[in-house]
Amino acid sequence: MRPALFGRHMITSLVMLAVVTVVLGFGYPLVVTGLAQLVFHRQADGSLIYRNGKLAGSELLGQEFTDSKGNPLPQYFQPRPSAAGAGYDGSSSGATNLGPSNPLLIGFVPGVNTVGLNGQPSATNPFATKADPACVPVSPQGTPVTSPSPGQKYAKTAGGSYVCDPNTIPERAIAYRAFNQMAANAPVPVEAVTASGSGLDPDISVQNALDQAPRVARARHLPVQQVIALVHRHTQGRQWGFIGEPSVNVLELNLALDGSS
Amino acid sequence: MTVSGWEQLLFIVAVTAVAAPLLGRYLAATFRGGKAPGDRVFLPVERLVYRTLGVDPDSSWTWRSYALAVLAFGLLSTLLLYAILRLQGVLPGNPTHAPGMPPLLSFNTAVSFITGTNWQAYEGETQAGYLADTVGLVVAQFTAAGVGLAVALAVIRGIAGKSRTIGNFWSDLTRSLVRVFVPLSVIGALVMVSQGAVQNLTGFRTAATLAGGTQKIPGGLVASMEAIKLLGTNGGSYYGVGGAHPFENPTGFTNMFDLLFVIVLPFAIIFMFGRLIGRPRQGYALVAVMAIIFLAHTVLSMQAEHHGNHLLPASVSQAASGASPGGNMEGKETRFGPEGSALMTIGTMGTTAGATDSALDSYTPVGGTGAFIGILLGEISPGGDGGGLYSILVLALLAVFVAGLMVGRTPEFLGKKIQAPQMKLVVTYVLTIPTTVLIFAGISLVIPAGISSILNPGLHGLSEVTYAYASVANNNGSAFAGLAANTLWYNVTLGLAMLIGRFAPIVLSLAIAGSLAGTRVHARTKATLDTAGPTFMAFLLGVIVIVGGLIYFPILILGPIGERIIG
Repeated sequence: MRPALFGRHMITSLVMLAVVTVVLGFGYPLVVTGLAQLVFHRQADGSLIYRNGKLAGSELLGQEFTDSKGNPLPQYFQPRPSAAGAGYDGSSSGATNLGPSNPLLIGFVPGVNTVGLNGQPSATNPFATKADPACVPVSPQGTPVTSPSPGQKYAKTAGGSYVCDPNTIPERAIAYRAFNQMAANAPVPVEAVTASGSGLDPDISVQNALDQAPRVARARHLPVQQVIALVHRHTQGRQWGFIGEPSVNVLELNLALDGSS
Repeated sequence: MTVSGWEQLLFIVAVTAVAAPLLGRYLAATFRGGKAPGDRVFLPVERLVYRTLGVDPDSSWTWRSYALAVLAFGLLSTLLLYAILRLQGVLPGNPTHAPGMPPLLSFNTAVSFITGTNWQAYEGETQAGYLADTVGLVVAQFTAAGVGLAVALAVIRGIAGKSRTIGNFWSDLTRSLVRVFVPLSVIGALVMVSQGAVQNLTGFRTAATLAGGTQKIPGGLVASMEAIKLLGTNGGSYYGVGGAHPFENPTGFTNMFDLLFVIVLPFAIIFMFGRLIGRPRQGYALVAVMAIIFLAHTVLSMQAEHHGNHLLPASVSQAASGASPGGNMEGKETRFGPEGSALMTIGTMGTTAGATDSALDSYTPVGGTGAFIGILLGEISPGGDGGGLYSILVLALLAVFVAGLMVGRTPEFLGKKIQAPQMKLVVTYVLTIPTTVLIFAGISLVIPAGISSILNPGLHGLSEVTYAYASVANNNGSAFAGLAANTLWYNVTLGLAMLIGRFAPIVLSLAIAGSLAGTRVHARTKATLDTAGPTFMAFLLGVIVIVGGLIYFPILILGPIGERIIG
């Protein structure tokens, strides 16, 4: 349109970019880092927790409390399910991103998502087991099957029922009750069986902690009242009384347990 | 909703209602010309910049020259950022050893940050090194915000001023950065660090966990990026999961602070507009319309997420109580709960930030509709920094024109006649983004390269694709993150949609301003339509809903509404 004018703007742009790159690209973050390190050193470094002089984690990041095979350790409070890497991987935060009607999240619900089974909606879930009417079957290799190819084989238990994908919410609820020795239809707090947005959620709900307390007490041979008291002591209320949700920091609670038994 | 949900919403409304007019007053004093607050500190800095650039800050340009400068600056910024992203593997300042990004991903990312979209097809922790983050992406976040505010100032001068020229891009940009974005970002970053957001240069540390394993603990210049990400209505985060990450958004308080840091400035810019044109009532009227839309989509979504996912078994308790947040907690953090998450995430959806603290893909269909509404109505609740103003002004011109036709009078806005040349530009403006969204999304749904990236089956998958194009074309940048967007097809087409969605509205609104610059200002008579009264506000709201709603209604029926009905 106006080459000369455009050219002049390009040159000014170049100088402007040099200026902002130096001032905003280097100056700004360094000034903020300097001030932050000076005034809020602990927070700026990640609210780190040391145990016996060794770095044990961060107050703000959840971590796994499992044995080397990945089984949850009963003597520790367990965090929420995690989609960060293989679980609470600090180098790959992430959510499941599963939609609210996805069978991998809610299981097979007849009339909602059975379509993936054979291309047809069906009125019942052919893979339902006694414990889990929403069972999503898995292949012999253990991957959940939602759109089977012809001749698809499924894993079965010794008793002849289908093996279900353990990561759906109904299956997690079953496992949660079994692990904590709760009654078959006892309510399970929703956040205990859903993955968080970051995969690094450091907190669980108070209800979740109270449901786990008897199991932890048994594993540690402690009176249950003592564990419950510890849960209450580590319960963070809403900020200013109304912001956010009350929560229990799992790492701090478990650290306190290790210190007291 | 729970009591604490309402309290958090009220808190946001109350703080905004106090802070935005005050900040608007400061902005008006800053950009009116003449003496301004803080001159003693800021003026010497600005003079130094002008001298380095070799520009005369007092010269004022035609709209064409202004638009050319915006385009030239955008082009060069994109090239520089592209080069940094490609070369980060061999550049210094890369303790996490992020390799250079591949060409198409670099193109997509460079365009994404220059346009203020901040769509992130890359993985934050591993694919962007410290240098790329702070020198590349953060600089782009500052300039994108500054350009938005600069264009808004030029549009105001054209629409309301008596001069034929509309200002000087270099001085508008410099002043925006020096007097607004940099000082506020420094303060905001420090507030975030005080709550636990990290700000260090240490890279990954390895912790020995209680159970005997190890955990990598990330570091980074997080708070400094977070501040301008939010203040500049950019939305691009240090970490892949954005505001869900405890190192970015550590507490319930930062969650509210982050939302305020996004919405206060766009609202303040509308108050500034009212003051600059000498008709504060006009500013209040536009703010009211924006606030109504903001409340509508935010409350809708908070309510839906509080109710939770009705497809879960009844024995999974979704009831909220003092001991459990309840609701739809998939993809949400315990410390925010379902309502706090929806408030923050959906609250930013009417801005070009699209900052999220939870996984949108896992929202209930109705909750996700809240995000769709914010974006599809064209990002005017309250919109981006500057973008919100010129978007709503264009819609106001459309409303004035339609109202004029209905009563058979020549339409006037701020005393200036709105005629055929302006209306052609307005209609082009209004149609550009929907056309871009629907064509690209339509093609993606029929070609294998488009379909294969979808994560969730059924109607939800359709929402993933539609949302991606609607989000980037409106420079929002939030995602139904199940979509695997780092592919040839999506990197290229989403990149193009961002470019169109950013620069077409800028050029068109500058053209509208240019065509009105210097035209006669008619005296108010009894017959003049009052564009600041409740009748006009209701009418404008109607025009916004009809323009946005009707264009996209079919795709909403097939997406979230259909999903809700079937489920």
